[in-house]
Amino acid sequence: MKISSEWISVFLFALRVAVPLLFISTAWRCFSSMRLGKRREDPVIVLENTVTHKIIPVLYWENSLGRSWSCDIVLHDQTASRAHAVLMRRESGWLISDTNSKAGTFVNGRKVKDKTPVLPGDVISMGATSLRLKRTADVKGMKPSKPRWRHAAAPSRLLASATLLQALLCAQVCLAGSKPDPEPLIPFGLLLAMEWILYGYSIHLLGHVSFELETLAFLLTGVGVMLLCGTNRKAAYTQLAAVAAGIIVFRFLIWFMGDLDRVMRWRVAIGALAILLFAVNLAFAHTRNGSKNWIYVGPVSIQPSEFIKIAFVLVGASTLDRLQTYKNLTGFIAFSAVCMGALFLMKDFGTACIFFATFLIIAFMRSGSLRTILLACAVAVFGAFFILKFKPYVAERFTSWGHVWEHVNDSGGYQQVRVLSYAASGGLFGVGLGKGCLKKVFAATSDLVFGMLCEELGLLLAVAAVIVIAALALYARSLATRSRSTLYSISACAAGGLLLFQACLNIFGATDVLPMTGVTLPFISLGGSSMVSVWGMLAFIKASDERTYAARRHRK
Amino acid sequence: MKTTGFRSTILYVLGAGFLLGLGVFLYGFCTDGGKWALQPFNRHITGESLSSGEGRVLDRNGTVLAETKDGNRVYAGDAATRRAMLHTVGDTNGYISTGVQHIFRAELSGYNLVTGLTSPTGKANGSDIHLTLDSSLCKLARQQLGSRDGVAALYNYQTGELLCMVSTPDFDPQNPPKDLNTDKTGKYSGVYLNKVLSSTFTPGSVFKLVTSAAAIENIPNLDSRTWKCNGSVTINGNKITDVHSYGQLSFKKALAKSSNVAFSQIAVELGADKMQAEADRMGFNRSFSMDGIPSAKDHYSVKGAAPDGLGWSGVGQYTDLANPFHMLVLMGAIANGGTPVMPYFVQSVTTPAGITTKQGEAKTGPELVAPDTASRLTGYMRYNVTNGYGDGLFPGLAVCAKTGTGEVGHGQHPNCWMVGFSSRQQTPYAFVVLVENSSSGSVASAGHIASALMKAAAGGQ
Repeated sequence: MKISSEWISVFLFALRVAVPLLFISTAWRCFSSMRLGKRREDPVIVLENTVTHKIIPVLYWENSLGRSWSCDIVLHDQTASRAHAVLMRRESGWLISDTNSKAGTFVNGRKVKDKTPVLPGDVISMGATSLRLKRTADVKGMKPSKPRWRHAAAPSRLLASATLLQALLCAQVCLAGSKPDPEPLIPFGLLLAMEWILYGYSIHLLGHVSFELETLAFLLTGVGVMLLCGTNRKAAYTQLAAVAAGIIVFRFLIWFMGDLDRVMRWRVAIGALAILLFAVNLAFAHTRNGSKNWIYVGPVSIQPSEFIKIAFVLVGASTLDRLQTYKNLTGFIAFSAVCMGALFLMKDFGTACIFFATFLIIAFMRSGSLRTILLACAVAVFGAFFILKFKPYVAERFTSWGHVWEHVNDSGGYQQVRVLSYAASGGLFGVGLGKGCLKKVFAATSDLVFGMLCEELGLLLAVAAVIVIAALALYARSLATRSRSTLYSISACAAGGLLLFQACLNIFGATDVLPMTGVTLPFISLGGSSMVSVWGMLAFIKASDERTYAARRHRK
Repeated sequence: MKTTGFRSTILYVLGAGFLLGLGVFLYGFCTDGGKWALQPFNRHITGESLSSGEGRVLDRNGTVLAETKDGNRVYAGDAATRRAMLHTVGDTNGYISTGVQHIFRAELSGYNLVTGLTSPTGKANGSDIHLTLDSSLCKLARQQLGSRDGVAALYNYQTGELLCMVSTPDFDPQNPPKDLNTDKTGKYSGVYLNKVLSSTFTPGSVFKLVTSAAAIENIPNLDSRTWKCNGSVTINGNKITDVHSYGQLSFKKALAKSSNVAFSQIAVELGADKMQAEADRMGFNRSFSMDGIPSAKDHYSVKGAAPDGLGWSGVGQYTDLANPFHMLVLMGAIANGGTPVMPYFVQSVTTPAGITTKQGEAKTGPELVAPDTASRLTGYMRYNVTNGYGDGLFPGLAVCAKTGTGEVGHGQHPNCWMVGFSSRQQTPYAFVVLVENSSSGSVASAGHIASALMKAAAGGQ
C-alpha cells in the first residue's frame, strides 16, 4: 500500500508537470493558427481616377473617403469634404454612403441619398474627383488576391488537445483523495459534450472554418471547472450550466451581429433595456458582501451588471458611415454616466472601474480624441476623491494596500496574504487539484481564484492562463483593420480590453499589486452571470474575425 | 478603418500595464516566495495537509524529537522528553518563535521555488536537523524542576555544544492542553517563551561576580582589605541588610557569604562609572545570539542613580536584569580565561539527498573578562563551593560557582540562581540554573538541580 501511494504521488506530479506544458502548447498553436488564418491585406477592388488613371487600392471592408489625411482613401481635392463618404462591402456587394458632405456624392451622376450599390465600372463622383470602381483582376499588373484561408492546425486537433488537457486535470481530481473517486468524470463528460457539440454545430452545420477562439475559451473554462471539481462539486455543476448558457449567448450574439443594420436599429433599444435593468436591480436587488448587485429569480441569483457589460459594448460600437456622420460622443457619454452612476449606487466599485476602462477604449476608438480621454480621467479622479471621502470603507482597502503583511489576521490583508502564501506553496507545478488549502478562505473560487490556480496547478499554468486572456485582447487589436466593420473592431477591442482589465483587477487585487476590488477572473472564476457575460465578450472578438461571416455566405 | 486600427493601439497601454503588474508579482514570487510560504497559518506546513513532508529533528544521540508521519507532526516517544524539548524543538503551530521548527522552517519544509512546499514523491523532502542537545540530560533537568517554573542550561565551554536547555512552564506538544490558549489563571504564563534565551530576571547575588570583577580591577589591595558586616548598612538613608551578621569579612569570604553589606559598599566605593563600565564589558545591555536566535538584552544602568540605588545595584537588585543565556556565556568566558566559545545547538542540517547545508562549529565570542580577572574570579568561585555550598554537590568536578536570590517583590518568593562551571579540563561544562518563586534557598533549589545535571553530564562522558 505504501509503495502504491508513492507511485500515485509520482504519477500525479508527472501530470502536474504535463498540464502546463500541454496548456502552453495548445494555446500557442491556437494563436499561431489564428495569426496564419488572417487574410493578407490585398485589395479585392481598386478605384481608378478617371482623369489621371491613378489606381487606388481599396484595402478594407469599410473605407472612408475624403480630403483629410486620416481617411483610408485620401481625395486631393479642395472641393471634397474632409470626411466625404464611406465605401463599404456588405453581403449584397459594395455600397457607398454619403456622410453629410457639402458637395454630395454621385454614382454614375445620380446623387447618393442612402446607401447606394456600386458595381464594377460605376463611377463615383465627389466634388471634382471621379473614381471608377474596378476589380483587381481587371487591372493590369495587379495579382488577384487569394481568397483561400490558410490554417496551421486542424481545428479538431486543437480541440482534442484541449480535451486531453481536461482529461489530465480530471485524472488529478479523481486521484486527489485517499481513494480514487469517479465522480469528477461526470462534469468532465458534460464539458466534453458541450465543446464537441459546439464544434460539430459550428464547423459542420454552419460551415465555419475556424474554432480557435472557442478552443481557447474551453481551455480556460475547463481549468476553472476542474478547479471547482476539487473544491465544491455542486458549484462545478452550476458553473457548467452557466457555460452552457454562455455558449447560447455566444452563438446568439454572433447571429445577431451578422446583420449590421439590425445591430444599428436595435442599439437604442438595447441601451434603454440596459438602463431599465439597472433600475430593476436598484429597486429589487439584495446586498451581498457590501454590494447591492444580486437579483433572485426563483432559485437562481443573477448579477444584472454582468449582462449590461454586453449591452454596453453593443451600444458603444458603431459602423464607419455612422461614426463619420454623427461625430459627437454625447449620447454614449450620457449612457456611460448613467451606467456608472447606477454601479456607484450599488456600491459595486470594481465593476464601475471595468465599465470606465471599457468606456475609455470605446471613446478613444470612436473619437480618437485624447482630450475626451483626459477629461474623463479627470472626472474619474474627482469622483474617486469623493468616494474616498464619503465611503470610508473603500478607503480601508487602500490603507492596507502594499502593507498586507501588517494585516495578516484582519480584513485588510487576510485574503491577500493567504493568496501569496498558498501561491508560493504551490511552486511552479502546484500541490495538485483538490489538495489546496486556500479554498477554505472566503471568496477563494471567485475573487481569489488566481491564488487557487497558483496553489493547486502551479505558477506556470496560472501565468499561462492570464497571458492567454491578455493575448485575446491583443488578438482583438490585431483584427482592428481586418474586420468587416468598425462596429466589429470597436466592439472586439472593447471586449478584449474589458476582459484583460477585469483579469488585471482580479489577479493584481488578490496578490496586493493593486487594491482588492472583488471582481471575477474571466472564464475561470466561479460565477454564473460572469461566465455568460465573458462568453458574450468572446462573441465580439469572434465577430471581428472576417472568417466568421465568410463561412456562412460560402454555404449559401 | 485605418484610423480605427491606429486608435486600437490604446490596448497596448493596457497590455503594458498588465505586464508591469505581472512583473511585480513574479519578482515578489521569486525573491520573497519562501517568506510568503513559510507562514504559521500555512496549512501545508502545520496542520493536516498531506502535501508537505517535513524533515526530522534529532538530538545528539540520534533520538528523534520530531518527525512527520502520515501528514501529522509526531514528537518524541515519552511525554517527559517531549516537554523537556518543547522550547528547543518548538510546537506545531509555530507559536514558539525561537523553536527549531520555526527558525529552520524553510530547511525543514524543504521549500524551493520549483516545487514550493510539495514533494513529488509524497515523502519527506525537508532536511533533517541534528541538535547538539542531549535529550536525556534535558529530561533530567525537566524532572528536577518538577512543577516549579525556571530554566536550566548546560554547555561544553570548549566546543560550544549546548547539551541542555530547558524552560518551564511547558506543555506536551503532542497533546496540547485544551485550555492552553483560553486559560485565565496564568498557569501557562510564558509557556511559549524559551526563558533561557528570551527572558530576563533579577540576578540577585549572581551579579556580585560583576561587582567582584570591577573590584579586582580597581581596588589594588583587595585581598588585604576587610569589611565589617553587622547585618545591615545604611546608605543615603536606605538600609541594606544581610541574612546574618557576619562580623569582619575578607573579600573572598564576603563573596562566599554573599554579603550585601560588603558588596553594596564596594559598589558605592567604585562609583557608578566604573560599575557601568564593568557591567557593559561583561556583556550587560547587549544581545547575544545562538544560531541566529537573539537573546534578550539584560539590563544594568546606574547613570544618575542615588548612592543607595548604586549600592543595591552592586548586589543585583535595583533595576538589574540578567538573561540566563548571557550568564551561561559569561561562565564560559570565565572558564576559558575571559573569552567564551559561543554556545550553538544545531549540529547539522542535512537534506534527504545527504548533503549537509549547515554545520555547527565552535566560534569564539568577544572577550568579556580580562584574563587576570577571570583567573582570580575562578579562584573566588571555587572557594564559594568548597567553603560555602559544599563540594559534595559536585564530587570530583572542581566546580566554581555563585548563587543568587533575586528578590522580585509582589508577594512572590525570590528567584534562586546558581551559575558556574567545572574547572576540570576533562569535564568542561558551564551551567546556569534558575528556579522562580522558590521558597527554599538557592543551594537547596538551583544548587541541587545543578548538581544533578553536572554529575549526569560528567558521568555521561
